[in-house]
Amino acid sequence: MIWPIIWSLWMSFQTGRGMNTSFGGFSNIKRLLGDPVFFRALVNTLTFLLIQVPVMIFLGLVLAVVLNSPTIKGRAFFRTAIFLPCVTSLVAYSILFKSMFATDGVINNTLIAVHLLGDPISWLGQPFYAKVVIILAITWRWTGYNMIFYLAALQNIDPAIYEAARIDGVPRRAQFFRIIIPILKPVILFTAIISTIGTLQLFDEVNNITAGGPADATLTLSLYIYNLTFRFMPSFGYAATVSYVIVLLVAVLSYVQFFVARDRK
Amino acid sequence: MTLFDRVQRAMVYVLLSLAAFVSIFPFFWMIVGSTNTSADIIRGKASFGDQLLINIVNFLASVDLFSVLFNSTFIAVTTTFFTLVVSSLAGYGFEMFRSAFRERVFAVLLLMLSIPFAAIMVPLFVMMARMGMINTYSAIILPTISSIFIIFYFRQSTKAFPGELRDAARIDGLNEWQIFFRIYIPVMRSTYAAATIIVFMANWNNYLWPLIVLQTNEMKTITLVISSLASAYYPDFGLVMVGTILATLPTLVVFFVLQRLFVEGMVGSIK
Amino acid sequence: MTDKLKSSSLAILLASGISLTAMNAAIAEEITVWLWDMNFNGATMIEAAERYKKINPDVTVNIVDFAKADVEQKLQTQLASGTTEGLPDIVLIEDYGAQKYLLSFPGSFEPLNDVVDYSGFADYKVALASVDGQTYSLPFDSGVTGLFYRSDIYGDAGYEADDLENITWERYIEISKDVKSKTGYPTFPIDINDAGMLRILMQSAGSWYFTPEGDLNLKDNPAFHAALDTYSQVLQSPEIYKPISGWTEYVSSFTSGDVASVITGVWMTATIKASGMPGQWGVAPIPRLGSVEGSVNASNLGGSSWYVLASSEEKDSAKDFLGSVWGTDSDFYQKILVNQGAVGSLLAARDGAAYQASDEYFGGQAVWQNFSEWLGNIPGVNYGIFTNEVDSAVAVQLPALAKGASVDDAIEKINAQAQSQTQ
Repeated sequence: MIWPIIWSLWMSFQTGRGMNTSFGGFSNIKRLLGDPVFFRALVNTLTFLLIQVPVMIFLGLVLAVVLNSPTIKGRAFFRTAIFLPCVTSLVAYSILFKSMFATDGVINNTLIAVHLLGDPISWLGQPFYAKVVIILAITWRWTGYNMIFYLAALQNIDPAIYEAARIDGVPRRAQFFRIIIPILKPVILFTAIISTIGTLQLFDEVNNITAGGPADATLTLSLYIYNLTFRFMPSFGYAATVSYVIVLLVAVLSYVQFFVARDRK
Repeated sequence: MTLFDRVQRAMVYVLLSLAAFVSIFPFFWMIVGSTNTSADIIRGKASFGDQLLINIVNFLASVDLFSVLFNSTFIAVTTTFFTLVVSSLAGYGFEMFRSAFRERVFAVLLLMLSIPFAAIMVPLFVMMARMGMINTYSAIILPTISSIFIIFYFRQSTKAFPGELRDAARIDGLNEWQIFFRIYIPVMRSTYAAATIIVFMANWNNYLWPLIVLQTNEMKTITLVISSLASAYYPDFGLVMVGTILATLPTLVVFFVLQRLFVEGMVGSIK
Repeated sequence: MTDKLKSSSLAILLASGISLTAMNAAIAEEITVWLWDMNFNGATMIEAAERYKKINPDVTVNIVDFAKADVEQKLQTQLASGTTEGLPDIVLIEDYGAQKYLLSFPGSFEPLNDVVDYSGFADYKVALASVDGQTYSLPFDSGVTGLFYRSDIYGDAGYEADDLENITWERYIEISKDVKSKTGYPTFPIDINDAGMLRILMQSAGSWYFTPEGDLNLKDNPAFHAALDTYSQVLQSPEIYKPISGWTEYVSSFTSGDVASVITGVWMTATIKASGMPGQWGVAPIPRLGSVEGSVNASNLGGSSWYVLASSEEKDSAKDFLGSVWGTDSDFYQKILVNQGAVGSLLAARDGAAYQASDEYFGGQAVWQNFSEWLGNIPGVNYGIFTNEVDSAVAVQLPALAKGASVDDAIEKINAQAQSQTQ
């Protein structure tokens, strides 16, 4: 796996079209800095990241804690149900989201019926609402995924700890923040980094539901890399340069996350 | 139980049911879709139709179901098995035998995880071609086995592995391999269960890489087949829905079977 | 021609002293084809393969189908990797991307001038696959456009077929508003994220994003200005269109009867015929750009052609196959027209019986004959190598244009983005 990565690093210094490439030094970086599409994609990606990562982690954590509690009935059913979106195929999922959010789709019809809306919203035809749809879609698809990691990790908490906390009269909210969160910290850190990487590489949803539009409102860095590689005149070198922007972002953000989560001794 | 507790409990159930409904609805819609015509599906019709048999017959006529399912299953099962063995061992090693050098190696590995696949696809393809592996199962399985993602997961989960257990085992005279196989694996059951689900799902749904390295109809996986069916000028979504249900079921079964381990997990395994 | 070719290749084999076993191996040949859409492209390829069996029984055709985007991904990854192992012998490529492949992977495709008589094909299809005097494609399905309209809805609003003949966009927009006020139907589906309509408008005026030399042709291009201006007038009249998003909704808007018309390529005919509204549809020529000198009532959308890979071991058979069936067999084109609704680009096929037939679905209109006539009128333009890049730049400005932004400003911005994207 190392070899292709070194190659791609080398590629990021190559310019040209398709197979006709030559060494271009820093010309790709220059191109990057003058590329309005790149900056649009960067801003969109960071927007999704800032909203998505905290929302998914929080929802996943709450659901996991609730579904781990032995007093809840039908846990197996709820767990499986909430995990379902992860396994639903991308094709079914994108047809469904598109038809739900169509101008005369079920979402608009419902909102109009309960008088929350006067006129239908063109969800996928307006830059702001298209972003909202993507955020809803990602949350729907990936919350259950994060939940699994927390559920597995919660098994590592000795029931005796809860028992002790209960006897000491620690309120439930305090149990959550003072007992559960610290024990789950390594796994939370793991999901935070994985979600960060996943959101920075966000591709499936935007490619299948909005194709990056309208007006590039949902174009992400990964979709831009894809376009540069497959839809546009193939410029593998420049695509590799954009890829390393993602790597750089991951490096910085992971460092911050490790730093925040470090063991304070 | 106080009134406050009762209200709180009721709210928990309401929220859970809401989350479950939102999650199940698309799946339900997919099953409904498989009983409707393509035109009804696009219109978003949410009631059962009478097209199920026709859709199934059409699907079987256009897809060699046996070979497609065999390919997908073989690739997913093999990859999952090897990934779990290799990556959990690596994750365990990184956490248990820490050194400044290994920390640095690990940081580099983590960065590698963040390189978008599209960027390394061409060189990886060249590598596979030089090894003569184009259009083989190995070309798909090999690059996915040492999953940095899973190594990282095991490393983080190992932090919760009680050190006293290992010390006790050492005193009992077990060597490091025995500790790993006899103590670590049973104790970390729920972690393995979660990892199995994730890895199986990722490989079952893997799309871009199989697309690039598989060249013949005989080698196609179910994701490739569905993608091809769904992209016709006038796709028949009825049979696409039949296909997506078939593609979804195996992961669902794996999940359903393994999720029990989350509950039973550690309790009782430490004796 | 076929026989001559075969005997000459036989002579070469003998002269170069290749052993008998090698020849035996060469006899049972398999040509691998990558394509998308089994029901359309796949079915025509199977029909062609069966016909070729009669000419050369030793050659079988092996079809591998992927999604269209997937064919492009595979081809592009593999050509870029420089490994020829696993490449097919023949591949289907969409016309808009032809120049991109031919110019970015020089030497990867085989010129077919020695097996195909290009004077027998629609000019614009030949031009888009030619580089330096060599032509690399066997031109296949045409994207000749038509204005498909619901004759019942238009009838209710008081419009006959003649009222839609030879009209300008100004007139069409007028009619659309009238149809809306009289019947309540919006006229067409619009995807604000897609520049397809703009491409139709531009080509009808004989222009494109690029000059024939391949330079950007956006500023001071009256055809581009007129096309964008017309399109923004449509976008500013929300009552005459139904906003949709993506291909599935696009198709469903007219197959489920939500709109009164659609301007699209001839390949959509089969889909419209499958929507179960016999006698309720008609086909008219598309409107032209009234303000542009030389704009015609004909254009193109999409379309694709077959290419032979230079790395192919069976390229002689592949070329012979394309040349003998696809290049000359007029009867073959009648068959695929009837069965798949595929309108090829071989001009001689237009004289065949199937092309003359009238179609009751379209109220007894001689639909195919109309399309072939328009096919001959499509202005040839240079699709260049950066169509997708400029498409994206255009799409970014569309929401602003819909809100009434100035067309000149939009062109300025499109040009700036296109320049940075096409370096």
